[in-house]
Amino acid sequence: MTGPAPLAADRPDGSAGDATSGDIRKEMLAAAQSLDRSAPSPAAAMTSDLSIDEELTLHSIGWEPIELVYGVSLHSIPMGVWNWGQGEITHASSAFARSFAAATDRIHHECARSGGHGVVGVHVERNVDRHHIGIALTGTAVRPVGAKKLPSADSVFVSDLSGRDFTLLQGSGWMPLGLAAGASFVYAPRRSMGTAMKQTSQNVELTNFTEAMYAARESAMERMQRSALALQGTGVVEVKVTEGPMEFAHHAIGFSAYGTVIRLVAGQHRNLAPRMVLPLDDPVRGVEATALRGA
Amino acid sequence: MTDTPQDLPEGASKRLAELEHGLFTSDLSVNEFLLIKEVGFHPLGFVMGSSIYHTGIQTRKWGQSQELTKLTEAMYNARELAMTRMEEEAAELGADGVVGVRLDVNYYEWGKDAAEFIAVGTAVKAENGVSYRNKLGKPFTSDLSGQDFWTLMQTGHIPQGLVMGTCVYHIAHRGIGQTLGSAGQNVELPNFTQALYEARELAMTRMQDEANQLDASGIVGVRLEEKSHQWGSHTIEFLSLGTAVVKTSGEVTLPAPTTIISLDN
Repeated sequence: MTGPAPLAADRPDGSAGDATSGDIRKEMLAAAQSLDRSAPSPAAAMTSDLSIDEELTLHSIGWEPIELVYGVSLHSIPMGVWNWGQGEITHASSAFARSFAAATDRIHHECARSGGHGVVGVHVERNVDRHHIGIALTGTAVRPVGAKKLPSADSVFVSDLSGRDFTLLQGSGWMPLGLAAGASFVYAPRRSMGTAMKQTSQNVELTNFTEAMYAARESAMERMQRSALALQGTGVVEVKVTEGPMEFAHHAIGFSAYGTVIRLVAGQHRNLAPRMVLPLDDPVRGVEATALRGA
Repeated sequence: MTDTPQDLPEGASKRLAELEHGLFTSDLSVNEFLLIKEVGFHPLGFVMGSSIYHTGIQTRKWGQSQELTKLTEAMYNARELAMTRMEEEAAELGADGVVGVRLDVNYYEWGKDAAEFIAVGTAVKAENGVSYRNKLGKPFTSDLSGQDFWTLMQTGHIPQGLVMGTCVYHIAHRGIGQTLGSAGQNVELPNFTQALYEARELAMTRMQDEANQLDASGIVGVRLEEKSHQWGSHTIEFLSLGTAVVKTSGEVTLPAPTTIISLDN
């Protein structure tokens, strides 16, 4: 990653600019440098957005949270690509793919630097806008309790599964490997005025829209599968999909999907043999203040 | 219906071919995934079917309750298209069934009266090699969650198919005379009551007919949804949905569930 450009270099007249913008530059530089610090000392406090329950579950299988880690990436999209054209909107699709890859790469490095062996509970934020596509990943780095050795950035796993899901998977012999994602944006062809008029009173399938939707879905899912295979996974669970036309361009259809890639690491799947329970709790009843007052 | 795509698009076959190499995709949660493994099934892939459909226009008589057959047909047809495409994908994967099926209708800006009908679910296959396909030789479909699927299997039932019935009904407006006549009184409004009854009965009967075709012994998890979509307040779609099941084994003795009180209320 290249740091911010030197202060005076981007001004044609070479002036240093006013004091405020100079301060921001300095702050940005300081922030960028602080990201580049070495691993925290073992005595450093841990931060995590996991709930107490989740931490407890993790500890029960010998893992502990270390630090909240991020990965963010934003790619711009040229003007006007959303409105007219045919087939796939490659600018948008590749911006999504590159953003996701870069964000994943960054969270990998942050995790490895903090001594984590993996990241759980990753919150994936997808932001598709007229001018850019941004991906932000936030999660908690975890490691086996007391693990000293720093892992390499390639070997850590990233997963949007919660701490309890991670525990359950481990218990039955599976491990998360990483996040797989795929997205595709296509143009939905417009109906000609004549066709639209003719179809007003008919029950008819709009095949061109259906086909566009299918095209977007198939390439997005196929991309997700390809990245799962690249991670040598045997499955993708909790796949989340979003689909539909863009808010800012009704004739562009987008489909994106992501999920956690898993692999059976034990010799064979271990059954959990759940027991049936019947909770005797009543639903919690809220007390309305007005009801007590007899109003 | 000449312009209906007869087969799956090329992209779909490519995606499904990849799934046959040992990778599965699924929108099941980890809990559901583990429970499905528990009863001896393995997920094969996330299967989908969709159809973007334009519903026609039918004139309604202001003061008359009636079924709008053209709209009923449209709602049936579009859902069938989506369901069938999803089943085709599952069949291509060699699945025994599809669990966690969700049916959705999305309205977009593509023009008036156009909506996307979508069916998604996870195709599963029994690990012991026994075929669990339904009477028609097709993969079963079911809108049960992984948890419900596990529980159903414990009782010796297996799902046969997602069955549905729908009816789009126009409910008559009341005349001014009627409205004035009942002003200030406690009275039942028989024309409204009857119209709602009739529409609901039609939808339920159609669902039961579908279950009979599958020789089902029952329908579980039935839901009745009422939606006006985009037709205004007096035109309502009644949709009933459920999973038809058959009993495969004899008497099953279930262990009595342990009663618990959780401390985290």
